Amino acid sequence: MPVPADAIADWPGWRLMHAIAARFVDWAVCSEGSSRSSALIRIGLAMLFWSRWAGELLLYMDQSPVGLFLAVNFFVATVLLFVGYHSRVAAVWTGAVGLTMYYYFGFQLGREPWTHHHAYLLAVAALLIALTPCGRSYSLDRYLSVMRAERTGVAPPAERGNLWGLRLIVLQLSVLYFFSAFDKSSYAFLSGARIEAIFLWYYAGSDYPAGLAWLATIVSVAVVALEYCLAFGLPFAATRRYLLLPGLAFHAIIYLTLPVYTFSATMVLLYLAYFDADAVDKVIARLQGIGLKEEIS
Amino acid sequence: MADIVSVRIGAESAGRVSAGRLRFFAFMAIAAFMIAGPAAEQVFGVRTALLRSWTMFSAIGMGVIDASFEIRRPDGALVPLDRFEMLGAPRDGRLKRIESRDELASVIKRLCTAAGQGADIRVRARQATRGGWQIIHTDAENACAG
Repeated sequence: MPVPADAIADWPGWRLMHAIAARFVDWAVCSEGSSRSSALIRIGLAMLFWSRWAGELLLYMDQSPVGLFLAVNFFVATVLLFVGYHSRVAAVWTGAVGLTMYYYFGFQLGREPWTHHHAYLLAVAALLIALTPCGRSYSLDRYLSVMRAERTGVAPPAERGNLWGLRLIVLQLSVLYFFSAFDKSSYAFLSGARIEAIFLWYYAGSDYPAGLAWLATIVSVAVVALEYCLAFGLPFAATRRYLLLPGLAFHAIIYLTLPVYTFSATMVLLYLAYFDADAVDKVIARLQGIGLKEEIS
Repeated sequence: MADIVSVRIGAESAGRVSAGRLRFFAFMAIAAFMIAGPAAEQVFGVRTALLRSWTMFSAIGMGVIDASFEIRRPDGALVPLDRFEMLGAPRDGRLKRIESRDELASVIKRLCTAAGQGADIRVRARQATRGGWQIIHTDAENACAG
């Protein structure tokens, strides 16, 4: 007669759960791959930080000691992130600057719109990219390591690493989409009322346009449905192929119609984390003609 | 889960086991923090600046007023009233968007003044709230009376 522990282990549901958990652990922290997609995100984040804040942080803008301290930290950290010198440290530094701007300057000192979603997302993305091998490609770190390898007569280090930081970015995006949809899953939003109010605020003023009601209702239901689909569908390759374009179009529309600052661009950049890093590497190789040469030869 | 972590991460060399475990527990801790933020506000109603709730587009447009105005002609018929024309204000100016009840009251007062003594102006207005539209003015009575 089997002991209880064996009986549980033989239960088909338990084996299925065990297999799912094993796949999750593999996916989350055991997968290694090309560092190029992480590097592209690193470079893109540095550019988004500049796009969002560089103008506001020029040295003459706030000449107080704390303002100058923030500006110097911002520019040094983001330049290091962009060129990829001590890339992961630079990513932590940049993320810390972003969170300081969000929490201290935004919430404590009341500087707006530094408390908005786009600011938090940028800061968190910088911190998460620090958990990837983002400095092993397209970076000064890479250049220096190749030079070092040539001097010592060894092969240059592989452009690979553990991708758990990219997995956390995927999780962050899914959490964002899910809770954004969850918050909208109410009569107030699904009836179209909140979309109508947003439209009146930015476009129509206090004159309600004819025909807005049904359009707002359709858009509201579509937005909530799409956000739930993006939350659960984008992480999986089988559903991602159908959701990628709607997701990109969704962010493009938001960017064009509402003042979301860098939010849409950050989301689109972070979509790179959904793709298999080695597949991204192959696409880059093909674009550079490397794969083509190998196929011909 | 612990045995799965051991088996999956234990496949690496002995020196890396602890790093793999550490990475897994860090992953779970960061994931928990990501979920805790929005769950705290949206599920448990705890509002704090420390946690991001991802309640997007929930504050934009709140307070805006959807208003329509009608004026009674001498023959007794109610016709739409163009507030911009009546007040000689630009359509893209401050009068375009009425953002509060006080602002609405001020617009009504100006319209009544411009229409003259004994004018009958009817106002239908509703205000955007987080729960949806809230009716704040009906056209049952003359807005210029009293």
